Amino acid sequence: MTQYVVRRLIQAVGMMMLLSIVFFGLVNLAPGGPLAGYGRARRIPAAQIPRIRAQLGLDKPILVQYVVWLLGNDWMQVDADGDGVADGQGTRRGILRGDLGYSFRTRKPVLEEIWSRLPNTLYLMSATLFVALALAIPIGVISALRQYSKFDITVTTLAFAGQSLPDFWLGLILIIVFYVWLPNPFTGGPLLPSGGIYTIGAPFSISDRLAHLAMPVAAGALGWLAWYSRFLRSSMLDVIHQDYLRTARAKGLPEYLVVFRHGLRNALIPLVTLLALDLPYLVSGAVFIEMIFAWPGMGLLYYQAALQRDYPILMAMLVVGAGFIIASNLLADLVYALLDPRIHYS
Amino acid sequence: MSNFAQGTGTSAIPSQEHGSKSTGQIVWKRFRRHPGARAGAVVLLILVLAVLLAPLSPYSPGISSLQNRFRPPSWSHPMGTDALGRDLLTRILYGGRVSLTVGILVVGITLTIGVTVGSLAGYWGGLLDNLLMRITDAALTLPSLLVLILLGAILRDIDLPLLKQNSVLTIALVIGTLSWMTFARLVRASILTLRELDFVTASRALGASPTRIVVRHILPNTIGPITVEATLELGYAIIEESGLSFLGFGIQPPTPSWGNLLSNAQENFLRYPWLAIFPGVMIFLAIVSVNYIGDGLRDAFDPYKVLKKAGEL
Amino acid sequence: MSKDSVKVLAISAVLLVAVLGCQPVGPAATATKTAGESQPPQGAAPKSLVIVIPEDPPSFNAVVADSGYDALAMHLTMLGLAAIDPAGEVYPVLAADLPTVDNGGVVIHEDEGTMDVTWRMRTDVTWADGTPVTADDVLFTYEAIADPETGAWIPGIDLVTGVDKIDDHSFVVHFSSVYPSHLTLFGGRQVVIWPKHYCDPEQGFLNWDCAREPLSNGPFILKEWMTGDHLTFERNPGYFVPGKPQVESIVIKIVPDATVRETMLRQGDADILMWATEQVASNLKDDGSVRVSVSPTGRWVMRLFINLAAKGSTDPVADPNPLFSDVRVRQAIRGAIDVDMIAESVWYGYANPVWTEFFRPPYDTCKMERPAFDPEGAKALLDEAGWIIGVDGIRECKGCGTAADGTKFQFELLTYSEYGEPLILTQQLIAEMLKNVGIQADLSQVQGTVMWADSASQGLEQNGNFEIDLYDDGYAGNDPTDFIWQYYYSESAQPDYGWNFGRWFYPGFDDLIDSAYTLDETERTAAFCEMAKILDAELPQILLFSTINADAYGSRVGGVEANVNSVVSWNAADWTLAK
Repeated sequence: MTQYVVRRLIQAVGMMMLLSIVFFGLVNLAPGGPLAGYGRARRIPAAQIPRIRAQLGLDKPILVQYVVWLLGNDWMQVDADGDGVADGQGTRRGILRGDLGYSFRTRKPVLEEIWSRLPNTLYLMSATLFVALALAIPIGVISALRQYSKFDITVTTLAFAGQSLPDFWLGLILIIVFYVWLPNPFTGGPLLPSGGIYTIGAPFSISDRLAHLAMPVAAGALGWLAWYSRFLRSSMLDVIHQDYLRTARAKGLPEYLVVFRHGLRNALIPLVTLLALDLPYLVSGAVFIEMIFAWPGMGLLYYQAALQRDYPILMAMLVVGAGFIIASNLLADLVYALLDPRIHYS
Repeated sequence: MSNFAQGTGTSAIPSQEHGSKSTGQIVWKRFRRHPGARAGAVVLLILVLAVLLAPLSPYSPGISSLQNRFRPPSWSHPMGTDALGRDLLTRILYGGRVSLTVGILVVGITLTIGVTVGSLAGYWGGLLDNLLMRITDAALTLPSLLVLILLGAILRDIDLPLLKQNSVLTIALVIGTLSWMTFARLVRASILTLRELDFVTASRALGASPTRIVVRHILPNTIGPITVEATLELGYAIIEESGLSFLGFGIQPPTPSWGNLLSNAQENFLRYPWLAIFPGVMIFLAIVSVNYIGDGLRDAFDPYKVLKKAGEL
Repeated sequence: MSKDSVKVLAISAVLLVAVLGCQPVGPAATATKTAGESQPPQGAAPKSLVIVIPEDPPSFNAVVADSGYDALAMHLTMLGLAAIDPAGEVYPVLAADLPTVDNGGVVIHEDEGTMDVTWRMRTDVTWADGTPVTADDVLFTYEAIADPETGAWIPGIDLVTGVDKIDDHSFVVHFSSVYPSHLTLFGGRQVVIWPKHYCDPEQGFLNWDCAREPLSNGPFILKEWMTGDHLTFERNPGYFVPGKPQVESIVIKIVPDATVRETMLRQGDADILMWATEQVASNLKDDGSVRVSVSPTGRWVMRLFINLAAKGSTDPVADPNPLFSDVRVRQAIRGAIDVDMIAESVWYGYANPVWTEFFRPPYDTCKMERPAFDPEGAKALLDEAGWIIGVDGIRECKGCGTAADGTKFQFELLTYSEYGEPLILTQQLIAEMLKNVGIQADLSQVQGTVMWADSASQGLEQNGNFEIDLYDDGYAGNDPTDFIWQYYYSESAQPDYGWNFGRWFYPGFDDLIDSAYTLDETERTAAFCEMAKILDAELPQILLFSTINADAYGSRVGGVEANVNSVVSWNAADWTLAK
């Protein structure tokens, strides 16, 4: 057992190393770089270029840059002002020691940037996932039980509709409808706020948070809801026809028990596999939703970093995202092994 | 959206059923009976014909006509005109060619990679299987949206001969490299199930080469879920293309695509809503019909559903 | 229980903890202290003035990234020595008055060519913690900027040999040669004075924390900053102008989507929309509740930048560009483009045709004649230059002298994608207009970072990897000298040395630019007009039109005035908010 754990850990670490090399290569492969100027400032003054290149560590060959990213540079001499002469030890400790580096754009620690956005993304994506599942399961089950009924056909059509709309488009339409057109009967103002997490300056209120969640969650959950409910329907249909259900019925069990205790539980298993595949989105966020609804999350941070070639942020997010998945796989495998006595890993 | 996972239920149809009819004929018969699939097929057919006939339009998709900017829908311009006075219907039809091409390319790329990887892994097993599945797993652990954006940013402007300014191919590659894993798993699972069956053992005993066995005997029996998956992949690719265009990594103007027509229109949404509504509707129609077709195919390949309907279960 | 179920359960547990435990992270703590004045009464917070922008300011130091949004936040909280008003006039802020030659503030040593500028500062300005603003702060700022390791380059800093303190409120800046923009060296749009007792020089000018948690001496104090979401400011009770600011609090909201920003302005959820585009200005024209302040002249001039070296080369002498080396060709291209039509249609009439770099006051007196839109003349010029129309309507070289006979006049017209639709449409229109005279332009767009990056990062311009570039640029402030140097000086043609990507060389032009570094306005204007004539004749760049510089604001707000030489918050102290 311990051997298994150790082996898996080594595999996980190996995978992360490999992925980090791939990511680093991809990120640096992109033409263009962070010295292109920002926003409306077209170009940074040429006199800045060598100095900034040195400050950002970009004057070193790629391999060295990777090593610095991995292991830091406080064990070597660095040239901080681009004049070709080393000025002292570096200050970075490398990602293996928890130093995610400094954003090229803001010069602040990447950890701070990510830490300020990650909870927002988790908050939004969890709510979206929760809503999607909470609706998808009953819809899927009922559709399956009443196959080809009016309910089923309507829901199927709506589900396809939901999957066929780009979510940024849907988001805009929602804003037009609920923010521009429909007035709030009590205040006369907009029915729903156009974006953000909460009303700035107002005290904490659940209804305020919910109002701000309503549209982004609706826009984001629709696609998932459609997909999960279809999938569950299909899965449920397969399960319903199985022999063991027939046996349960023959034993005289009430229908609802048959469906829920035996049928649904087994129908949920493939759904869980699907869910497991969607978990990365919880961390990487939905860029389109965040853009349209001004949600300060990870997806938006990443997109802007990609456009401005802010390598440290890109690397950190890619690594965190992949790490999250690998860690969850590992965790699940380990817990599963603990729970199931039949498993003997060698 | 996520990678699609394998649906449950058996995937192989016994080759002998209903007497002497072939698998294809049976599937086709079942497919035809599915109302949604019929409608979907018809709509898709119309769409494909329409985009193929795009050159028949009296208007050019590229030439501007500045005195006709932003005209609302009318008899001469059924979908109105855009910011340069170009007929929107014409641009949508030409855009459909591009978007559908991207979709088909994506399906082609993911099928090729996925089937190859899955077959190699499933049939030969052992170390190769291990390695390929590791790679598949690694690809699955990629945070796909993040990598999509990164690849979009890189490949869009990179100076490689085939890719430079060939945005259709570039986008198809970007989307395709992140979605082949489902096919690989599907095919591998099917092969694992099928390769121990008698007819395969028999073929092997007769001296058939592994390639022949895989290609001629096993793969045809996996057609079912693969086809279903492929149709869904088509819809997925079209949506991804529109998303990439929204982010700025999609098809480059002035070439229209449904995606970039949609993203360009959002600034003018309040004033000239038809510019955004019509491309959205086209995407919607295309994907809904593709989904219905996929649904019909899934039902057609699955014995249980049809048998229940026939009252035999 | 399957493995996947376990996985999902495990993640759900972690997530539940995360969601419950970490509510959206509160704002970064700010350590600013007020100067002991009474706080505004707690309770229902008065509605703030809301400014919407598309992205977070990278910091409060506009020198680091100069995205414009940093300047927005910076000018709300901090002050420079002097600033430039919308008309282009410099006015003192932290300075008591402006040093000039007449009042003895500016001394030029003729024999050495050096210059000394003596400043007197106001004595009544304090930082928000009560410490007075003194010359020490100016020296501190200068040293931080000039620091070779952690400093930055600002225009003019190369010419500064030192800054000496005279007393607590006066100091002298030593220049190695005459620098015309000496008044805005430590001011203007990009630079402010930083507090010596608060900022950490060890961290360095580009990285210090006080650019994220600033200490104010300006009209407002930063109260909270939730990165990616919003910044909140409240009025600085210790601001040196009595009675100002009148606005109690300001919120800057980050809203990435342009349509949503515009909608918020219309609905009244936003009060100021910074950098309103032509589209927005046109949309809002008919909306009575919203006004748009448009600067009389724009800053950003859309131009066609021509690579006079062959694509991929940076040497126009060894590898001259086969298509564009003949000046008649460039003149023809200019004549073929109907700038008015583009400005009226795609830019909603808000683009103003520009045909010389010197179109903004006070240097717009050169009286350059506007080139005519003349496609027939263009065709004649092209024929004359040896480019004859071929069977497919595209011109071919027949004795053109710069290329082999039979070369087609076909090139890649490049632009960048982040600007938005109007630029893409302009590109298409230009291609059509060129087609009319037999030139085939193939369109492509790249990301801005690919176009403008340094040569090591494969920046297209620095490496000469382009043929014609369509983009906008213009000089900040009221002095074009540095801008002209960057674009037209011969040294600037070296990769990573400047912005003369067109690799344009003209004998004597360098000397003309050098002669503009004088305080004699007559001489400068003469030099500029000389340059204008040469640039008009040689056409290294084809200038098209200037784009709008405007800010939109709602009916609650008063005092908003767009300033092409700075950003909209330049006069934030004068803003009013109706109750």
